[in-house]
Amino acid sequence: MTTPLVTLTIDGKQIQAPEGLNLLQAARENGIDIPGLCYHHKISPTGACRLCVTKIEGRNGLVMACTIGVADGMTVTAFDAELEATRRHTLDYLLAEHNESDDGTYADEFRELVVRYGLSDPEKRTYPNIHKEMGYPVDDTSPILTYDASKCIKCFRCIKACDEVQGKNVLSFADRGITSHIVAGFGKWDDSECDGCGECIQLCPTGALVEKPHRDQIRMDRVEKRVRTTCPYCGVGCQISLHVQDNSIVRATGEEGLSPNDGRLCVKGRFGLDYVQHPERLTTPLIRKNGVLVETGWDEALNLIAEKFSGIKQNAGSDALAGYASAKCTNEDNYLFQKLVRTVFGTNNVDYCTRLCHASTVTAMLKSIGDGAGSNSIEDFATTDCLFVTGNNMVETHPVTATYVKAGKAKGNRLIVCDPKWTPLAAIADIWLQPRLGSDVALFNGMIRHIIKSGLMDEDFITTRVDGGKAAVKKLEAVVAEYTGKLVEKITGVPETLMKTAADIYAAADTAIIATGMGLSQHTTGTHNVFALINMMLITGQIGKERAGIDPPRGQNNVQGATDVGCSPLFYPGYIPVTDEVNRKRMAGLWAVEHRALSIKPGLTTVEIINKAHSGEIKGMYIMGENPMITDPDLNHTEQALRNLDFLVVQDIFPTPTTEIAHVVLPAFTFAEKEGTFVNSDRRVLRVRKAVEAPVDTRDDWRIIMDIARHMGHDIGTYDSAAEIFDEIAQAAPMMRGISYERLETAGIQWPCPNKDHPGTGTLFLDRFNTPNGKGILHPVAHTPPTEKPTEIYPFLLNSGRILYHYHSATMTRRSKPLSEFADAAYVLMHPVDAGKYGFSDGDRVTVTSAQGELETTLSISTEVAETELFMPWHFAESPVNRLTRNDLDPFSKIAPFKLTACRVERAKE
Amino acid sequence: MSQSVETLDEIVERYPGQPEYLIFMLQDIQSTYGYISEDSMKVVCDYSGVPLTQGYSVATFYQSFRLDPRGEHEVRVCLGTACHLKGGQRIVEEVERRLNVAAGGTTEDLRYTLSTVNCVGACALAPVVVVDEEYLSNMTAKKLEKHLKTLDYDLENETKEHGHV
Repeated sequence: MTTPLVTLTIDGKQIQAPEGLNLLQAARENGIDIPGLCYHHKISPTGACRLCVTKIEGRNGLVMACTIGVADGMTVTAFDAELEATRRHTLDYLLAEHNESDDGTYADEFRELVVRYGLSDPEKRTYPNIHKEMGYPVDDTSPILTYDASKCIKCFRCIKACDEVQGKNVLSFADRGITSHIVAGFGKWDDSECDGCGECIQLCPTGALVEKPHRDQIRMDRVEKRVRTTCPYCGVGCQISLHVQDNSIVRATGEEGLSPNDGRLCVKGRFGLDYVQHPERLTTPLIRKNGVLVETGWDEALNLIAEKFSGIKQNAGSDALAGYASAKCTNEDNYLFQKLVRTVFGTNNVDYCTRLCHASTVTAMLKSIGDGAGSNSIEDFATTDCLFVTGNNMVETHPVTATYVKAGKAKGNRLIVCDPKWTPLAAIADIWLQPRLGSDVALFNGMIRHIIKSGLMDEDFITTRVDGGKAAVKKLEAVVAEYTGKLVEKITGVPETLMKTAADIYAAADTAIIATGMGLSQHTTGTHNVFALINMMLITGQIGKERAGIDPPRGQNNVQGATDVGCSPLFYPGYIPVTDEVNRKRMAGLWAVEHRALSIKPGLTTVEIINKAHSGEIKGMYIMGENPMITDPDLNHTEQALRNLDFLVVQDIFPTPTTEIAHVVLPAFTFAEKEGTFVNSDRRVLRVRKAVEAPVDTRDDWRIIMDIARHMGHDIGTYDSAAEIFDEIAQAAPMMRGISYERLETAGIQWPCPNKDHPGTGTLFLDRFNTPNGKGILHPVAHTPPTEKPTEIYPFLLNSGRILYHYHSATMTRRSKPLSEFADAAYVLMHPVDAGKYGFSDGDRVTVTSAQGELETTLSISTEVAETELFMPWHFAESPVNRLTRNDLDPFSKIAPFKLTACRVERAKE
Repeated sequence: MSQSVETLDEIVERYPGQPEYLIFMLQDIQSTYGYISEDSMKVVCDYSGVPLTQGYSVATFYQSFRLDPRGEHEVRVCLGTACHLKGGQRIVEEVERRLNVAAGGTTEDLRYTLSTVNCVGACALAPVVVVDEEYLSNMTAKKLEKHLKTLDYDLENETKEHGHV
């Protein structure tokens, strides 16, 4: 579907451009710099500034280039004396209302044009300046920006940035004529729905919208460099540019024109990076002496670690050691981490928080379609005909992905949201299905039954792409037969007609993508939830073509990569099972170790490691960049387990509740201090680049790992750079074989990329699934009622999740001033009916108690949750939700049921 | 308060919940309450599917919408070209002093709202001041003060009569 190229002539120069592309963009792409202030490639042309006037043969008068599409044979005059005079006059006129004071903190496209057109000197202008008499307002109420109407040229870019790019629609013009100015919401920024993404600042061509953080520090002429790197927060993998001044990050902007974000960022990526320079950073190794952590040198710390780990290995065996890798660290860090655990510890006991997020999704996807990664590109969310979002609050958790969804919705694509709790996406969805917690399988089975009964299956796809073809569907049909609309309504609470309409829309769409999330995976039935969903996808053929498939957005910046490079108790790099003899030999060769030295026994998963630590079988642990004392289920149990270890090493950038109980704490680098790669949610390998120098006595994670190996008497390779480690990863993991730092220099590459000439793969499974016979496999599953039910003692079901302004255990985000200004307190949501029943008022302090533990928090009354259900964000250490959650595991994926805990709520004691 | 919210719902439900009916709803609210509060704007915007900020934009674009409570009497001084030339601005300044309120504002006792308008289309009568619905022609600051005194006198008498009863 590529647009045909046309040939046109601008000022005598012949250029080619896709038909219909606006003339201004086409000219600029060909080095013809027609001026303009209101146009930006991400928004619809406005034609407000009137600077891009041109003459086009056959048309009368002056034509604004941004408002016209190029056509074959078009002959354009972009520059002549008359056009330049017109532009100069327009600028002159704009200057009359403009406040030209400049504090040197921002780039100013308007000022550049004023210089270009020789209008810097007021003597050369026609009109006197009246901005002082106009009394233009300033809105300084937002935590992240200031708007100064006297510097505004009313170009609409901020309004369209907010509406068309971010889908938020918070900005508009107030008043009219010469006094018109930008407002947020009902006239005041901090009372508006502005969530602080800063897209408006990025697109503002003058200094009317400027960011507040670091404004007293930034001086454009002293910014030493801009470093393109990858955002350290969620799994979208936004490409950001860090502006560095005096070895400090003073500004972050989105990189325009690069996937996956094309310049978009969210509030965390743009304003949440001050943690890098935070005074509380760990800056020296710590060692526990007489029960207290005291500062020490690297030699003492590394010697102690080597002595203890080697001792445990000798006395209790390799399997008494375990490691938690990190979804925050780079592929290079994680690859060396698993290499250390496998070749030096001699065990497969390596896992990390992915077990707590997507283990069930990945388990089900691997069994059904052969890959656990998302099958599409993030941009496809804007173009697929139907998006089915289930258990995924992406507006808050993957904000930039959500901008694509909103753009798709604005174009008329269908959106179905399935979530027990209201989410901002539910507000714009065609259909919001609100099933009771833990009833997903019943809902999906009901949809499948309806699809089969209504003949909405894709028969061709079933015959050619589904294992067992129609016979397999017959088996599925038998299992779902009992899920009539009435029964499903009874189990899930979702009205029968709504469920059926949703199924109709999904099945009948030309293309449909499923976006899953923690709401689906973090259950004891997590794997079955995803099986049911995949069954629906396979019988409707909504995979195996462009813009169709299933995408579990990854929670952390490198949750995809950490497993890709082998931080899994079950898989070597590239998802090759530890039990695969051929691969074990191959890896032994690559790693230059005896192949018998590599354990063939699958290792323990995250929660199993904690359980074995509790029972005393695991005696030593190495935790890199994880904070299980907030993130693991049933924290009281976790704490006992970690305290029970003979030896615990924690490597991090900040003190955390987990470093508090470590024997040795090692200070590491942040993302801004290191070279490396992350893999985002759409399998895109993206470069991480060093922007600032790290504090003196901290070390890069992979160097620490190499040091530990060396002190334990092993050589796990001599690497001088992260690039060398990546080259080894490319050899170890077949799907990254064709990727190298050289190729990643300009843009990311989506795996699989099997060789150096391969462009990477946007959509998976176009020809075959990654299963043994290449076909998708149906796994009929039945609904099992949740083991956890409301009781008289614990009458509520508690759900948990994230909010926009904080990230996981909030180690980073709570050290950001702007983010904390937006939100800094825990709460529990309760439906007004329940609050009335118990006599609670909004803002009451309450105690929430489960069979596992209790915590105190503030009650917030809201219809976002259903009756008898509660919701809490889990970021806040003072109200740690995981004191309440259970560690009953999904038997198939070992994921814990974070989303469903029976609780009671009482008024807190004074 | 709850009573007025009901009335508000009644007003918006006179129209289909679509963006193109926004202005009709705002006009009805303006004439019922004399102004459009933030809460009523939220109700209208939710109902019509218009982002709040665009509702605000529309309401500030048209002079006929008010976002603040209005005084009992509306004094609008015309500053169109003809009125301006014949001393409209002087009238504004005088009456600002007299009422102790800046143009665009409402007196503390909610008795008068003073505003300026760009043209009321009665240039032959310039300078024009519109008090409530009444067009006062060939105005001077003095004549206007006299007129306002009459209104105040009426008010005092009402109060006195009321006092006797």
